[in-house]
Amino acid sequence: MEILLQLVYSGIALGMIYAVIAFGYQLTFQTSDTLNFGQGDALMLGAMVGLTLVNMGMNYWMMLPLVIVFGLIQGGVVERIAVRPAIKIKSEFGWIMSTIALGIIFKNVAENIWGRDDLKFPSPLPESPIKLFGANVLPMEILVVVGAVLMMLAVEFFNRKTIYGKAVVATFNDRDAAKLMGINTGLVITFSYALSSATAAFAGALIAPLTLTGATMGSVLGLKAFAVAIIGGLTSGMGIIVGGIILGVAETTTGFYLSTGYKDVPGLVLLLLVLAYKPAGLFGKSAIKKV
Amino acid sequence: MMNRKTLFAAVIGLALLAGVPLFTANSYYVHMVITIMIYAILLYGLDIVVGYTGQVSLGHAGLFGVGSYTAGVLFMKLGAPLWVIIPASIGVTAAFGALLALPALRVTGPYLAMVTLAFGTIIQILINEMTFLTEGPLGITIPKPSLFGQKLSEQGFYWLVFALMVLSLVVVHRILKSQLGRAFEALRGSPVASDCMGVSVYRYKVYAFVISAGFAGLAGCLYAYSEQYISPNTYNFELTVLFLLAVIMGGRKTRSGALLGAAIIVILPKLLDDLELFRIVASSLAVLISVGAVVGVLRKMTTPKAMAIPVIGTIALAGFSFWLESITDWRLSIFGLMILFVVYYLQDGIVGFARSLFARKSPAADSVSVDGLDTSRDAVMMAAKAGTHETGTDLLVANGVLMQFGGLKAINQVDLRIKRGTIHGLIGPNGSGKSTMMNVLTGIYVPTAGSIVFAGRSVVGRTSSDIALSGIARTFQNVQLFGEMTALQNVQVGLHHTFDSNILDVSLHTPRYKREEKAAIERGMGLLNFVGLGDLATEEARNLPYGKQRLLEIARALALDPQLLLLDEPAAGLTAPDIKVLINIIRKIRDHGITVILIEHHMDVVMSICDAVSVLDFGQKIAEGKPAEVQADEKVIEAYLGGTAT
Amino acid sequence: MLSIKNLQAGYGKVQVLHGISIEVPKGKVVTLIGSNGAGKTTTMRAVSGMIKPTAGEILLHGKRIDGLESYTIAKQGLAHSPEGRRVFATMTVTDNLILGAFPRLTGSRPKGDVAGDLDRAMDLFPRLKERRNQLAGTLSGGEQQMLAMARAVMLNPEIVLLDEPSMGLAPILVEEVFRIIADLKSRGVTMLLVEQFAAAALKVADYGYVLENGRISVHGEASKLRDDPAVRAAYLGGGH
Repeated sequence: MEILLQLVYSGIALGMIYAVIAFGYQLTFQTSDTLNFGQGDALMLGAMVGLTLVNMGMNYWMMLPLVIVFGLIQGGVVERIAVRPAIKIKSEFGWIMSTIALGIIFKNVAENIWGRDDLKFPSPLPESPIKLFGANVLPMEILVVVGAVLMMLAVEFFNRKTIYGKAVVATFNDRDAAKLMGINTGLVITFSYALSSATAAFAGALIAPLTLTGATMGSVLGLKAFAVAIIGGLTSGMGIIVGGIILGVAETTTGFYLSTGYKDVPGLVLLLLVLAYKPAGLFGKSAIKKV
Repeated sequence: MMNRKTLFAAVIGLALLAGVPLFTANSYYVHMVITIMIYAILLYGLDIVVGYTGQVSLGHAGLFGVGSYTAGVLFMKLGAPLWVIIPASIGVTAAFGALLALPALRVTGPYLAMVTLAFGTIIQILINEMTFLTEGPLGITIPKPSLFGQKLSEQGFYWLVFALMVLSLVVVHRILKSQLGRAFEALRGSPVASDCMGVSVYRYKVYAFVISAGFAGLAGCLYAYSEQYISPNTYNFELTVLFLLAVIMGGRKTRSGALLGAAIIVILPKLLDDLELFRIVASSLAVLISVGAVVGVLRKMTTPKAMAIPVIGTIALAGFSFWLESITDWRLSIFGLMILFVVYYLQDGIVGFARSLFARKSPAADSVSVDGLDTSRDAVMMAAKAGTHETGTDLLVANGVLMQFGGLKAINQVDLRIKRGTIHGLIGPNGSGKSTMMNVLTGIYVPTAGSIVFAGRSVVGRTSSDIALSGIARTFQNVQLFGEMTALQNVQVGLHHTFDSNILDVSLHTPRYKREEKAAIERGMGLLNFVGLGDLATEEARNLPYGKQRLLEIARALALDPQLLLLDEPAAGLTAPDIKVLINIIRKIRDHGITVILIEHHMDVVMSICDAVSVLDFGQKIAEGKPAEVQADEKVIEAYLGGTAT
Repeated sequence: MLSIKNLQAGYGKVQVLHGISIEVPKGKVVTLIGSNGAGKTTTMRAVSGMIKPTAGEILLHGKRIDGLESYTIAKQGLAHSPEGRRVFATMTVTDNLILGAFPRLTGSRPKGDVAGDLDRAMDLFPRLKERRNQLAGTLSGGEQQMLAMARAVMLNPEIVLLDEPSMGLAPILVEEVFRIIADLKSRGVTMLLVEQFAAAALKVADYGYVLENGRISVHGEASKLRDDPAVRAAYLGGGH
């Protein structure tokens, strides 16, 4: 029972990471109907850059905002190179393939800079577990949950309280009408990509001390986070938190009771099931076809 | 039927390919060409999904793996012989293809790509973990196969692969030129129109994945024999991306493109292993592109701005290659850059680009030989089998139809009674519910309440393609043609229901298939002649002028042999002379016994040809009767022009 | 103030407008009427930059705005209340109105007194005041129409484009909408009004243009156009 609770705690932390990445998918999808297939790699780059900064002697807490800035730039680059030209030629195939291509390039570059092996990320918090309701929780895991929630709240605050945030939500609601308000929707889309990568990079820096950090850490994470984004219906914030937690716990329990090799399977199967039966997600609304 | 030049070139090319083991004894090169041919088999199949139905599949490395491992497992556990393993690999992988198609049914675009990616990843995990079956990471060793008791040499195996590659090429080619290929392309052109022409999107998506998987399975099985050792980490995401790169770089919708693409992805890594060679190639490329850019700008074919990126990129690449010690580690980045390049600058691939330079007509426009075909018969006469019933009886009766979207009642308790052999107009101001009504009648929306009975059967709850096949055809307000197909092919999609031939008939060109294809061409031409588009049969639909596109939609709809034809604003955007032609055609259609429902805003059109008119406003029927009556009706005038009281 | 000269526009292959010319003087209400498919909404979209014209010129205060992005045109003081309302459904009424003043709040237009304008807008549209914290997507059609108009006015614009404000509204709401338009007119707001409901439009406008199949068939003072049989023919066909 104690072990189960432990698995649940780990699962929740893992799930919050999925939720943050999924959040990034939502951001860009809402404003531009596109997704970054290299989202997982943005997380990986955040972790790697964070690792380099920390190894150079920087304090973990100072590193975090720098990683966020890096993520903003990286997201902007993705949008400029891969997404904007595809939107211009109205090619869905175009942005799918080019975000995949950029993801591959980023991963390859990371492999060459940081090597192909997994690296240890020094933990800023004590590594000894705390007892919570009788089971062990790593302080880092709590930090992950707190960090993820804080980040999503910050974005929500931005969206609701600042005029620029409202402009983003307006773009999501109705791009053409937003333009009529004087909102430069192209910039909004660039910004949403920048923010999306920034949140992924932040998530990478958060989770790096808990797992193995390496050039390959992003790929499957990105895919599973997509499952979470789908469950949330690509429009519901609450949905991705719930979905993330469900997936995270499912994974940690599968990994323990079955075998670690199979731990990625529940997420992937979940993705297939949701898309097979309820493509709009468990929380989303289905679109009305217009002919 | 390929034209002579292409056929000749293909035969020469294949003969050369067959002769490779005779030209060189070096088994390294022989093995390389074998790999190219094996990949080509897979790419023929992948092209069906990517090039024809237009979806991104990130799971084909997984299907490739299923093929390899079926071969490996059957050999290892059962010692099965070649003639068992090949069909088994094809069959098992095809079954996996069907499994993949299930979650992919209801989704498209990025969702579908993610589905395939998840699928491919799961397969790789399963292969790795199910060690009791697959030996997991240890892999499986397989010797070269035996044929007729003799173990095949490298040469012998080469010719086996060659034979199977040619066979695959012929089969894929025949499939894609048949009604199946047209159905696949229709899925990409317009899924809504496909369903409404009787080509069920769900069903053909499954077919596309299953057939594509079958080829991947064959390729996988041959790959296992070729490498003589298989292990899980071969069938990874990078391989699947490589396959995609091959298809789009070689050129989709072409067999030669697939072969070229296969060659590129096999030779390229070897090229990248040799740094000196790569430096030479990169530098030459930079020079070539720069010179080409200068020429292009001077000839005003392009602008400096457009050429900036390719020029700077290739120069940077060449420079980078001189700075590096080894290029092998950067392989994937090169592939990534190649993908970006192809996506933005070479959308039709190398073969497509070459064709556009040298040919004047697109490959779709193989000229249609109509000698010996009987196109004199008025094709629409077929539809007059509806004429066994009497004019004036009820064909379609809708009662109390309610269509609610959330709080909005788009159609609010509408009754409609359409009599056989009439042209019935449906008019009303913007937002009154006319197009919604049409979508309800064709199954695109399911009504919230009410009954709709067509020729004795209820329409409510049936799929669009089922409704289409039972006799209701339609055109669309926003033209929904299959843009990349020719006018004739568009009409032939409407004729899909006349085909009973299955994949075997198509592959073997049985008499039944030949008969049906000939009939489809005859009838298709007849229908095109009926709307006056006979001499534009080989033009791509997207290149036709707007007015002709609308007429083409009508011809396509008539191909369904409908009893009821729904025309959604057919005159919108047409010039006056085009409208006259349209009115004539609609009259001819009615005279052939087909009932017509016409949504229109052009009052002149409505008044001149309609036998009866129903007027909708705010989702409700406010008037009905003969055109002149309706035109003078106070309520109608008020609905359109606004009350005089305000 | 707004000059449209020989405007041609369409969607891809479909040419909808074949060269129309319209003048909207400062302080006047000009209406563009015609049946569906005639090109009225296409005209509005070309003016506000939602689509690019294929030929012709559009001038605001003598400066060309054709071909510019709609967000640039908005910053020059042209507000467009689009066909179908297009309010921001997941945002509150107040937020929708604030967004109408986006260029003023971000430095593209003189700021003025945004908070004061917000209050004045609420007074002008009492229904909106009652629902100021409600999500715009939950409002009725009529209320959304008022929100769209108020949102356009929040720009403090030089000219307001109203596209089919009566579409889909019950008659009693149509009356209210036109009452508000008349009120705005009395405050000196320059407006270009596109309407399917000719009668109401001609009552409130100073000048009218009739659009038929992408061309202006008749134009003149609104009061004179009201009784012109050509107007009825443009809608219901027959006899011209």
